[in-house]
Amino acid sequence: MNKEAPLSIAERDFILNALREDVRLDGREADQFRPLNVSFGEEYGHVKIQLGKTSLIVRISSEVTKPHDDRPFDGIFTIALELTAMGSPAWENGRQGDLESYVSNVLDRVIRHSNALDTESLCVLKGVSCWSIRADVHITDYDGNLIDAACIGIMAGLQHFRRPDAVVKDGQVIVYGVDERVPVALNITHKPLSITFHTFDEGKRVILDATRKEEQASEADVLIGLNNAGDVCYISKFSGFPVDAMVFVNKSSVALEKVKEINNIIDKALQADLTKRAKTALVEESRAANDR
Amino acid sequence: MVGPTASLTPLSRADGSASYQCPSTGSNILGSVNAPIELPGRRDALRPEDATVEVFVKPGTAPGGVGERYVEGIIKNMLTKLILGREKGYARRGVVITLAIVGGESVGRGDSYLTLLPALLHTALLALLSASVPLSMTFSATVLAVDASGKITREPSPKEAATATSLHVFAFSSNGHLLLSESQGPFEFKTWENVHQRALAICHGTLARSSDGDVAMAEDVDGQPLEGALREVVEDKIHLDYAWKIDAP
Repeated sequence: MNKEAPLSIAERDFILNALREDVRLDGREADQFRPLNVSFGEEYGHVKIQLGKTSLIVRISSEVTKPHDDRPFDGIFTIALELTAMGSPAWENGRQGDLESYVSNVLDRVIRHSNALDTESLCVLKGVSCWSIRADVHITDYDGNLIDAACIGIMAGLQHFRRPDAVVKDGQVIVYGVDERVPVALNITHKPLSITFHTFDEGKRVILDATRKEEQASEADVLIGLNNAGDVCYISKFSGFPVDAMVFVNKSSVALEKVKEINNIIDKALQADLTKRAKTALVEESRAANDR
Repeated sequence: MVGPTASLTPLSRADGSASYQCPSTGSNILGSVNAPIELPGRRDALRPEDATVEVFVKPGTAPGGVGERYVEGIIKNMLTKLILGREKGYARRGVVITLAIVGGESVGRGDSYLTLLPALLHTALLALLSASVPLSMTFSATVLAVDASGKITREPSPKEAATATSLHVFAFSSNGHLLLSESQGPFEFKTWENVHQRALAICHGTLARSSDGDVAMAEDVDGQPLEGALREVVEDKIHLDYAWKIDAP
């Protein structure tokens, strides 16, 4: 199967005609995101993202491995995204569809290839051992705009994650447990996010953060990946109808605004979680069972 | 002993779903069921009058491998026998069960899934109930670790499981019949008997069977029997969903 049930012609026309009158099905503006909720689990690097009805869980994990032979100074960072029947009944378990490879490719480009995570800082001992950071994306509910949601999840996860401290002593690598030494935050060089636009009506209408139905009714998508400073690290116009060049110019400033907004939401959620953790840690430490 | 916490139908796209958290093993599983759905051709050729059950276990922080395929086989074999695949609308269709490990420690490469198996089974059961898939019976399952001194630990943490000499997983039907017994490590038959007794007590309480075959559940050291805990989760959900009907005058 591996394909969502197509929209009926009436439904498609309804969405399109409503957009011609500047109305979206859920009453949003054309340049408005759905409500975004970022929450963290108990472990470091466990993020839950809820973007409208799209929801996903990102888990970041680390382990010590041998670096690639051609890059002895670099650690390894992988993004693993697998679409399962949980997210949508149209996806088949254990079989890679077009959407999966497309989304993984975009995430790789926006986050990994833009060097958001400084892989050189993951090196422990040149050519012998390094940290391998893995981001697992579990899509639990799919209602459009998978790429932006996954991007937000991975970036929030990377900023939230703490890896165990590792030290080299006399050529020996010692990894300290999380309760032995304060775990180390990852080195994030910049915070890129992707913003997806969909075009309708021969490129005349452009909307942000489309739901699944809007995605299906759209003609083409335009993807802009950029960071807080406004550095564009990825632009794509993957398929569908041609889009006017001015759309890219105009929408990249909209995207910048949105990226700043979302990064703010992530920062706030991170701060809230850190203060909560700091409180419980103090309580733990001051418990009577501990040595003074 | 703190019982598991679970919730029914947390997801909106899947036909049925359940999230399940076991406090002692620390595992957190999210399960979804899509049924009955159309399967791509030829997969039902062997048994055209029955539904095909597919189980997919997605590890939290590692790529799937042999361990997952093995535990999928165990779950699938057990659930195929419980799901009434010949009911109307189910023949030649698929029942797709997806279980994602979204919290807790992951199973290491090459380690066994026995510590997680009861949580996976419970999640699958609750998700099946949430999707209203016809079942012949419900069940409850538990895992027990036996250490070198013969001490039995209920639902061991990953650390305890690593030091145990043998691990045992049992599943009992709602009538108290043994449905599944998976063991790992060396043990004697007498140990198995003991563990089996303890598991039955955990799942069903100390058995007091009345003349009509009904099982009365009683609480003891193990707290509320698992069978009852799972039943309560479903009862609560039904009560919530039908509040409009129940509270109406």
